[in-house]
Amino acid sequence: MNEEILVVDDEELNRDLLQAILEREYRVDVAWNGELALEKLREKEGNYAALLLDLQMPKMDGFAVLDEMKELGYIDKIPILIISGENAVKIEDRCFKMGVSDFIHKPFEPMLIHRRVRNMVDLYFYKNTLEQKVEKQTNTLKEQYDLLQVQAEKLGQMNNKIIDILGTVVEYRDLESGDHINRVKGYTEILAKHAMQMYPEYGLTEERINMIVAASPLHDIGKIAIPDGILLKPGRLTEEEFECMKTHTIKGCELLKSIRGIWDDDYCSTSYDICRHHHEKYDGRGYPDGLKGEEIPLSAQLVSIADVYDALVSKRVYKSAFAMDEAFTMIINGECGVFSPKLLECFKHAKPEFEELAASGYTEQPESAD
Amino acid sequence: MTVKNCYEQMGGSYEEILSRLMTDDRVKKFLFKFLNGDSFYQLCSAMEEKNYEEAFKAVHTLKGVSANMAFTDLTQACNKLTENLRGGQADNETEGYFEEIKKSYELVKKTIEDLQAQEG
Repeated sequence: MNEEILVVDDEELNRDLLQAILEREYRVDVAWNGELALEKLREKEGNYAALLLDLQMPKMDGFAVLDEMKELGYIDKIPILIISGENAVKIEDRCFKMGVSDFIHKPFEPMLIHRRVRNMVDLYFYKNTLEQKVEKQTNTLKEQYDLLQVQAEKLGQMNNKIIDILGTVVEYRDLESGDHINRVKGYTEILAKHAMQMYPEYGLTEERINMIVAASPLHDIGKIAIPDGILLKPGRLTEEEFECMKTHTIKGCELLKSIRGIWDDDYCSTSYDICRHHHEKYDGRGYPDGLKGEEIPLSAQLVSIADVYDALVSKRVYKSAFAMDEAFTMIINGECGVFSPKLLECFKHAKPEFEELAASGYTEQPESAD
Repeated sequence: MTVKNCYEQMGGSYEEILSRLMTDDRVKKFLFKFLNGDSFYQLCSAMEEKNYEEAFKAVHTLKGVSANMAFTDLTQACNKLTENLRGGQADNETEGYFEEIKKSYELVKKTIEDLQAQEG
């Protein structure tokens, strides 16, 4: 018999009667004024199976107890039955509005009291149990959601690694451009962050930048289809050879098209854009599609500057490295093709960061690209 | 004197109190407890001070207790004064109702005291 009931009435005889009626079924605790009742409620944190409450009492009446219980959040937790000699409709209505469950009228009818108290005790037991269950299940769901989030993040990281590996495969054939892929990621990120701050009209966000940076390693994936004789040829290419070299953009994006279904749509279209258009020029004189101005996807424009800068400051089979200052001037002056004036502004602002990265010659994957 | 005689003498309902408390022994226990209650005396002093709000509270309490003890006559008398004082003011019938309660209460009190004396 774990159910405990609190009877609050200033009239001893009423308390004792209720106790006599209820003690066969419940443990009965008593209080003879509102203050004492609240003390007991606080002590047990509202853990009574029911509260039987008189309204008219010295030292804090029943209404004051109800007010205080509402403050403490006990009203919805414990069924409250008002011990009432009143049949006044207004008072009962006020009680119901305050969250009272039922009434016990004088003179006491033991059978009815038993039934009323039992009804409420059971109802609240089920209600509270149900609430606990719902809360527990909500927590379980939350935990599983968190777990899913962690796994989604892991999957995302794994995805980025695979992209990097794909890019590295090409890089290895290229022999000389050691950490080209990681540096392009780094330059792309630096430039994109400046663009986000300086030109809100681009609509760049952290997420979008992460996507572009993560997709950037695939820009040269098409080089896998270029014969060694051309790809690895030291010195200048013939016109014919150069035409073949240019096809790495189309071949790359075709390759990416064929692996659709593994990556989500945003990822696919971003990597496609970068792969196909990273050799377009702002004046329309690039390849393969001769896109002009803002026709060129922003992702490709960003990677394009990053790629050209890295090519300039790195030693290649067909050339030696330019000094950083020289590389900077060449890009700004349009010696490597025309770029967006806005992105060139960003590039100017980002110069120290580009040079820091170029000088560090790091081989580690940049953390921020994740 | 049995508990049943006692209830007949004071104008109460023995059947009702027995249904509530089941045994004569328990009824007796509660009868004796009734004598300890002070709502009647609170009513008397409130009436004397013409504090009708307090008198209302006291007679209201006394009514509840009497009803619970199945003191039919006393409950009825209390009921009249309760309704009479509900507005917090007395009228020319108030005193009459109060006298009725006093008479009824004294009878209940004396009967219980007799029972108590008999029990030793």
